[in-house]
Amino acid sequence: MKSGNVNKSTYIRIFKLIKPSIPWVILSLIMASLNVFSSLYMPVLIGRAIDEMIGAEKVSFTAIKEILLSFTVMIIVNALSGYIMTSINNKVAIKTVKDLRISLFNKIHSVPVSTIDSMGQGDILTRLISDVERLSDGLLLGFSQVFTGVLTILATLVFMVRINLMIAILVIILTPVSLFAASFISKRTFTYFKKQADLQGKLTTYINENVKGVRVVKAFNSEDAVFDEFKDKNKSYSKANLKALFYSSTTNPVTRFVNNLVYAGVGILGGILGIQGRITIGTLSCFLSYANQYTKPFNEISGVFAEFQNAVASSARIFEFLDKENRADGDEESFKLESFEGNVDVKDLSFSYDKNKKLLVDITFSVKKGDHIAIVGPTGCGKTTFINLLMRFYDPDKGDIYIDNNATTRIPKSILRKNIGMVLQDTWLKEASVLDNIRYGNPDATLEEVMEAAKKAHAHSFIMRLENGYETQLAADGENISQGQKQLLCIARLMLNIPPILILDEATSSIDTRTEIKITEAFETLMKGRTSFIVAHRLSTIRNADLILVMKGGNIIEMGNHTELINRKGFYYELLTAR
Amino acid sequence: MRKLAVFLKPYRFQSIIAPLFKMLEALFELFVPLIMAGIIDEGIKLKDYDIIKRNGLILVAFCITGLVCSLIAQYFAAKVAVSFAESVRNALFKKIINFSYENIDRFGSSSLITRITNDINQVQNGVNMVLRLLLRSPFVVFGAMIMAFTVNVRAALIFVVLIPLLFIAVSLITIITIPLYAKIQRSLDTLTSHVRENLTGVRVVRAFNQEAREKEEFSDDNTFFANTSLFTARISAVLNPITVIIVNVCMLVLIYRGSILVNTGNLTSGQVYALVNFMSQILVELVKLTNLFITINKAFASAGRIGDMLDTENALSDEGAIDAKELPDTESIISFENATFSYPESKEAFISNMNFVIRPGETIGIIGGTGSGKSTIASLLMRFYDVTGGEIKYKNKNIKELTLSSLRNSYSYVPQKAQLFSGTLKENLKLADPDATDEELLNAVRLSQCAEFVEDKGQGLDMPILEGGANLSGGQKQRVCIARALVKKAPILILDDSSSALDYATDSRLRKGIKTLKNLTTIIIAQRINSIMDADRIMVLDDGDIAGFDTHEKLLDTCAIYKEIYNSQKAFTE
Repeated sequence: MKSGNVNKSTYIRIFKLIKPSIPWVILSLIMASLNVFSSLYMPVLIGRAIDEMIGAEKVSFTAIKEILLSFTVMIIVNALSGYIMTSINNKVAIKTVKDLRISLFNKIHSVPVSTIDSMGQGDILTRLISDVERLSDGLLLGFSQVFTGVLTILATLVFMVRINLMIAILVIILTPVSLFAASFISKRTFTYFKKQADLQGKLTTYINENVKGVRVVKAFNSEDAVFDEFKDKNKSYSKANLKALFYSSTTNPVTRFVNNLVYAGVGILGGILGIQGRITIGTLSCFLSYANQYTKPFNEISGVFAEFQNAVASSARIFEFLDKENRADGDEESFKLESFEGNVDVKDLSFSYDKNKKLLVDITFSVKKGDHIAIVGPTGCGKTTFINLLMRFYDPDKGDIYIDNNATTRIPKSILRKNIGMVLQDTWLKEASVLDNIRYGNPDATLEEVMEAAKKAHAHSFIMRLENGYETQLAADGENISQGQKQLLCIARLMLNIPPILILDEATSSIDTRTEIKITEAFETLMKGRTSFIVAHRLSTIRNADLILVMKGGNIIEMGNHTELINRKGFYYELLTAR
Repeated sequence: MRKLAVFLKPYRFQSIIAPLFKMLEALFELFVPLIMAGIIDEGIKLKDYDIIKRNGLILVAFCITGLVCSLIAQYFAAKVAVSFAESVRNALFKKIINFSYENIDRFGSSSLITRITNDINQVQNGVNMVLRLLLRSPFVVFGAMIMAFTVNVRAALIFVVLIPLLFIAVSLITIITIPLYAKIQRSLDTLTSHVRENLTGVRVVRAFNQEAREKEEFSDDNTFFANTSLFTARISAVLNPITVIIVNVCMLVLIYRGSILVNTGNLTSGQVYALVNFMSQILVELVKLTNLFITINKAFASAGRIGDMLDTENALSDEGAIDAKELPDTESIISFENATFSYPESKEAFISNMNFVIRPGETIGIIGGTGSGKSTIASLLMRFYDVTGGEIKYKNKNIKELTLSSLRNSYSYVPQKAQLFSGTLKENLKLADPDATDEELLNAVRLSQCAEFVEDKGQGLDMPILEGGANLSGGQKQRVCIARALVKKAPILILDDSSSALDYATDSRLRKGIKTLKNLTTIIIAQRINSIMDADRIMVLDDGDIAGFDTHEKLLDTCAIYKEIYNSQKAFTE
């Protein structure tokens, strides 16, 4: 579990979270008190009834009837208050979770992309799902349990003291035993659980890797070696697992033992006091039933306590994400331009992800509307980074990119992005129908328009061969279609509404050559009159570009068209002739 | 289900001990109210201190034996559950790594992982709880009822009404809520995948300015989840008040009847106390029993999923096979003879009647469109899948007659998807050959063009590799995979589109390096014509058929598809 510092403000913010529900919480607490009171009062009534049963022919039925009437009232109070209390708690918990998840999700779309990249997707996902869950379990439901538990203990003590001081004192003396047992076990359990969780993490990682990479394992015939290692890891996990499981399962027997000890003590002392006539049989029965349930709340509280700590840690992690700075944006009101011509000027642009590792250094060039710019260079030369900056997923450290003489830092992102279309290196599709995926950027597009776009992208024919055509549902990450088909869909998505500036980021790298020919043709019509940046390995695309930016080590080292660069016999020439 | 029971067999003894001691403990608990009734009726009423002392000591003795019994029971239950889970986990893992490709495809790797982690934990929990409670709880419920009858038959009649009533209420609500909880889980899954989708696609969402819509869709899913949770919570919240009402109404009846019986001299107040106590015991045990049902239900669902996998037979078997290493050298190292293959659940043949021969030492290029069958050929060669018709031969022997491991040892394979394991570079390379020397490893590192970045990181072969190769770029991962394959030194090397992320210069150096290896038959599958142009022969695939199989120059003359590919990618060599 990563970071998330718990401090005073964490508690204040947790309180703020619940604040809108305070009236409900108060009502819930009142109901809890009624519930505790009525459950404790019922044994008293039973005791009184028993006291009325002195012997044959001596039972006072009028008294019994009265007692039973009160008993009926208590049943109703207890059942009702219990139901209302649970309902309110659930409602408050579920509503808080709901609101919290909404703010967390909205936050995802408010922070800069760099925040998501640096935190890691898994981490954010955990905060949004598991941490929120833990918060609601440990904090909201735990709170009501602790409250009920503490109230029960206190009220039981008060009831006991009022009924008979001597027996009450006996129970109070035995209380620390119960507390001691509970804390001893929970400490032990905690240590072993931690160890178990640690080993479980290792085991899971091992499983993950080898199941995902099972094809490689098989190709190298290393099934036996892998299995032996798994067996060792499994064994050490199971050992820790047994200890954790056993220690945690001693909680019940041990507290039951303490309980029974209290019960026996009350029985003996009650018996002696009974003979001396200082206590009635009914009172004794009432005491015994208290003794029977006395340690239960201790148990629950100690159980909830660990959860409570987890919940506070979780909420700290939630708040940490909510506190991330939102991305800066240009002023939408004052920015008049809706669409651009497509003239792009890059001036003194510098950028790095890591301060110690310079990536883009002082880049300057300018392109006119309708130019096609090919960006080439070895892997890791900063091509993708350049795109990140143009789309303003990241902010430059120095300098800026200007579109039609407007600094991109000043252009509201919604307008900027409306004017730039892209097909990214990693294809991304939604878990939705093919139709909805293609019209992702234009939800109002008709089926005809979508089909038209798909035809242009040469996606139509494969879509028609899918089980349900355009209505086919794509699985998560588009796992039910091939990589090439995924890219075709991404291209079709762009075809539907072609903006003045295009970014084609290795879009065709896993589409087969024959399809690619058709796509290249389609792209040429698409790019006509539009400023296009193309990151590509393929020569055919590069050759036709108006400007080629040759990048190496994060900087542009050569610039010009194909013939110029070839004649220069520099790095570009080297790149292309190396075969 | 029965499949799983087998794993419990070695722990038969412990599996009997655990519930036995649990019942022993319960037995003591059942006698406690009677002993207390003795204190009341004989001790207090007859003013006999000895009885109080005697019964009190019995109670304390019960406490201690109860604790010992239940600790023994808990230990053995935990022991059985954990050992059981450990052996199921081993069996399952072994099953998975020996699965055929067909089975891996069928289950999907994420589902396989869930089964071996989550599902086993559920079953373990189920076994543990069953051993502890399945016998104990009904024993207490019926035991308490029988005890009540021994106290007084007429007063105990109310128990006959109470138990079925409680049982019906409790199980009714459980039955109603179990599918609802499943529904909650499903909608939480939807929510999770929605968030994941938005995280991975954050750039696209923003590029298309769809933040508002995504938020709205999430809000819908989130509301649905909240409403489902609320509805379920409302129903299960009824359970507690209902049991409270049932038990206490019965208590009311019991007290009323008790008072009549006491009045007629057929019952003592100590006995009334004992009856009241038995009733509370029944309530406590029934609640435990419901929780047990929920656990068992979950465990059964999980056990079914695990059983599914254990039942799955691997299509390939090794019986009576011979070792590929023993085969004498022949004119052809690989041959396809009328090989036909169709993927399971697909009607049409993917490859039909394919024939070709590859000679030892040849470098073969394979090129063709997506879905033309390039990777399928590689999979068939190593028997990741079996042909559905015809034969594939290795050194003139049908590969089905060879042991699987010796067949696969004949190939160094570089998969399309670069798959690395967390550990060091050395560990990753040694996967191919555990006995390889450092010198051999370094040689492979050089040949595969890894040397540069390995030197850059400055740790040599001890360079750490994170889970999934997260600390390497795509091209670097591919090169490490190639190095790994080279370490294996098998007679045939297959590069399955595995240099796609490399730039021209590196790719070219790589191929030149591989060419220096003597006696190596190389199969290069590629999308880029540059990668295969220099091959001895090039196979052009089109829709599962061989459209041409010849040298680069001849194909340019004879194969229209090849020419088309060439023209589209043609580099200008002036």
